[in-house]
Amino acid sequence: MNENEFGYRIRQALNEGAERLDYKTAYRLEQARRKALMAHRAESAPAYRPILLPAGGPPLEDDGHVGWAQRLGLVAPLLALVIGFVGIYQWQHDQRINELADIDFAVLLDEAPIDAYADKGFGALLQTNTDEI
Amino acid sequence: MASAAELSAFLASVERRAFKQAQFAVRDADGALDIVQDAMLKLAENYGGRPAAELPLLFTRILQNTIHDYFRRQKVRSTWVTLFSALGGRDDEDDSDPLETLEALAGSDGAESAADKVERSQVIAIIEEEISRLPARQREAFVMRYWEEMDVAETAAAMGCSEGSVKTHCSRANHALAKALSARGIRL
Repeated sequence: MNENEFGYRIRQALNEGAERLDYKTAYRLEQARRKALMAHRAESAPAYRPILLPAGGPPLEDDGHVGWAQRLGLVAPLLALVIGFVGIYQWQHDQRINELADIDFAVLLDEAPIDAYADKGFGALLQTNTDEI
Repeated sequence: MASAAELSAFLASVERRAFKQAQFAVRDADGALDIVQDAMLKLAENYGGRPAAELPLLFTRILQNTIHDYFRRQKVRSTWVTLFSALGGRDDEDDSDPLETLEALAGSDGAESAADKVERSQVIAIIEEEISRLPARQREAFVMRYWEEMDVAETAAAMGCSEGSVKTHCSRANHALAKALSARGIRL
């Protein structure tokens, strides 16, 4: 009997032995296979990728490239926010100047109520205004 | 890329042979099951994206590496066990059941007579026993070449040695196995 024939007969015996595995072992092998397949599914599932969606604009392109229109869509809201803050600051500043001007007018025209002069806070306010202006 | 169905079919086709190979190497059913499970997980997690045609060779290499890792861990563990057993009492209990091999081989082929079945089971058990007695490299080469039906080049790649070494290992394994089986009165 040559090597190949001997190998063939051994293979037959080994295959037969593998087929005759007891139920417990076959079941555990099946469980191991299921576990491996679950791991494979978990590995091949697409990973979560956050999508930046500009307000009113198209989402980012699939390859992650950001076009000029998309850049504008991202930058415009930020720019609007900054302009809004500056506007609010300017408006508040103007309001304060107007209030101070009103008080100054009232003092200069002698229209401020007499009680105001008795108020320590009013004196402090006038002093502060003088310092600020 | 191998789909889940392809991977499942591949694992189902090799799981029993893989278990037997691991059992030949470690001579312990539970250890062999752990090895097969580890090898399957490694294949699925790290190489699940490879084409289905590459899976057999990859799995063979992973299985061999996992068997080698098992022996490394066993070596470390036995060092500690030896260290502590010198301090503690001796435990001569043997967990292995000598009937397990026969029980495992008990099939349910109705056409075969009970006597033939038992005789065949015994022959298979002896062949498996003699294969597990072969030196590790000879057994690996023999099993890959003749059971896995891998060619010399594939076997050499999986074993990380030259093709000449594979041929030498196979030839020696063949002779040793034939001699051992003949000595035990087994004629194939």
